[in-house]
Amino acid sequence: MGATLRRREAVTAYALLAPSLFGVVAFLVLPIFVVLWLAFQDWDLLAPLQFVGLDNFSSVLTDAQFGRSLLVTLLFVLLVIPVQTGLGLFAASLLTRGLPGSTILRTIYVLPWICAPLALGVVWKWIFAPTDGALNALLGFRVEWLSNPDLALPAVAAVTIWSQVGYVTLFFMAGLTSIPDMFLEAARIDGASPWQIFWRIKVPLLRPTTFFVLVTGIISSFQVFDTVYALTPNGGPQGSTDVIAARIYYEAFDSFDLGRASVMALVLLVILVGVTLLQQLYFRKRITYEQT
Amino acid sequence: MSRRDRPGGRDRPGVLATLAIYAVLLAGAVITLGPFVLSVLTSFKSPGQFAREPALTLPAPFTLENYAQLFGPRVDFTRAVLVTFLVVLVVTAGQIAFSVLAAYAFARMRFPGREALFWVYLATLMVPAIVTLIPLYLLLTESGLRNTFWALVLPVAFGSPYAIFLLREYFRGIPQELIDAARLDGAGTLVTLVDVVVPLSRPILATLTLITVVTHWNNFLWPLIITSGEQWRVVTVATANLQSQYNGNWTLVMAATTLAIAPLLILFIIFQRQIVRSISITGFR
Repeated sequence: MGATLRRREAVTAYALLAPSLFGVVAFLVLPIFVVLWLAFQDWDLLAPLQFVGLDNFSSVLTDAQFGRSLLVTLLFVLLVIPVQTGLGLFAASLLTRGLPGSTILRTIYVLPWICAPLALGVVWKWIFAPTDGALNALLGFRVEWLSNPDLALPAVAAVTIWSQVGYVTLFFMAGLTSIPDMFLEAARIDGASPWQIFWRIKVPLLRPTTFFVLVTGIISSFQVFDTVYALTPNGGPQGSTDVIAARIYYEAFDSFDLGRASVMALVLLVILVGVTLLQQLYFRKRITYEQT
Repeated sequence: MSRRDRPGGRDRPGVLATLAIYAVLLAGAVITLGPFVLSVLTSFKSPGQFAREPALTLPAPFTLENYAQLFGPRVDFTRAVLVTFLVVLVVTAGQIAFSVLAAYAFARMRFPGREALFWVYLATLMVPAIVTLIPLYLLLTESGLRNTFWALVLPVAFGSPYAIFLLREYFRGIPQELIDAARLDGAGTLVTLVDVVVPLSRPILATLTLITVVTHWNNFLWPLIITSGEQWRVVTVATANLQSQYNGNWTLVMAATTLAIAPLLILFIIFQRQIVRSISITGFR
């Protein structure tokens, strides 16, 4: 009986899997191979594809503009990640003291995170507008937030932080409330101050949460597009906000060089897979509260 | 949460410290909500008032003319809103249904290649969307689907590996006896799935539905490249176009951003508990 029953179960299983398998193969696995193949082609959307060997690789990897994009993206990540992590931890430590209203405040902080980054970017573009924007009206003097090459990237980073702090806060709140009481109790009995308890006990015990928040934050910051596109289109003033995702987009759909854009996408893929593998490595030996 | 309230807990600060904490937290809430409030207020101002007065005044008179213009013949957001609703509907229905089927097979059935296939599904989670953008553009253009409704939904409607991963975990927690009982009553796989497994999985299904709706209502880059013109424009793309086309006409543009945000705001107010919980369960992006 076993063999036919097992075969029937396998057939049913594959029937259930069929739609998602089609989706995964056609729209996730196949594109990886296609982008690898496109990296060796010259394609402007009009003329037939032409094999050009490693030309795209050599031209992208020696391209000063692409180099600047990598640098701008790195700078963006360095601006966003420390600030949003610090603010998130700070907000979470204030929100986990059992004060009334904490739940509602938490909900408010998360709100920007579920809204379309593109729409929020457009809202902030008005807020930053030099003559009729809200920020300069509030300050009482004129600052060219988005057309000054020194201010544009920090402004974009600020909007990103504003929209993501709530998300980070949420995870730190979960982390803080899951720290077993006995550690805190023991520290208090030993006469530790709240300050010492925070830095010597809570922060080290939050390491898994911190790492999760850092890795997801880094991965999404490396791919930032919507906010940048809304606030500072075409790379921003003097290319100061020309992040990788924007460079790929403009290279492909503005300069119509899809071969070069594919190489850039592969560079981004290598960076992000690197970050993800580091995360895997870390989580494999991550400590749990019980073991410490 | 409750352990914070236990007697003798020293996490509860004194009066002065409490006031300081509230001051900081409220400042944070003002900064968070400020842009929303300001943009909504601006969307109810007349362009004349906006030009005359500073940005931080209340609308006087309160006007709906920006919204009228948004749905008027020249801008026409009506179609964009309908297209976006339809995209969200089809994508969500497809993703949930097909993810449930696949997750059940991975969680509860034995078949050759199960581990390897599941590994492939998981591996695709590492692939950033921006990397598949250009090849997907090529594939859909070559299939003659560029600038069609199908181009907007097909790449994401066949289930999501992440949803499958979460559902599989959940399905594995359903007691085998419940499934066996249905089987003994003569129910086939599909009937068992619909009558037993799905009703028991309401919380995770609600989570996934909310996440999918939010993600695809907000989606921008894919619709931006795969559609052109007004026929299959979604709300985000229409908002971006409006902003560059009517540059400086901020009262109209703020009506558009309010419209792009409002449905999610309403969803958020109704389901805030579930949404906050969903984010912490899945960490979705």
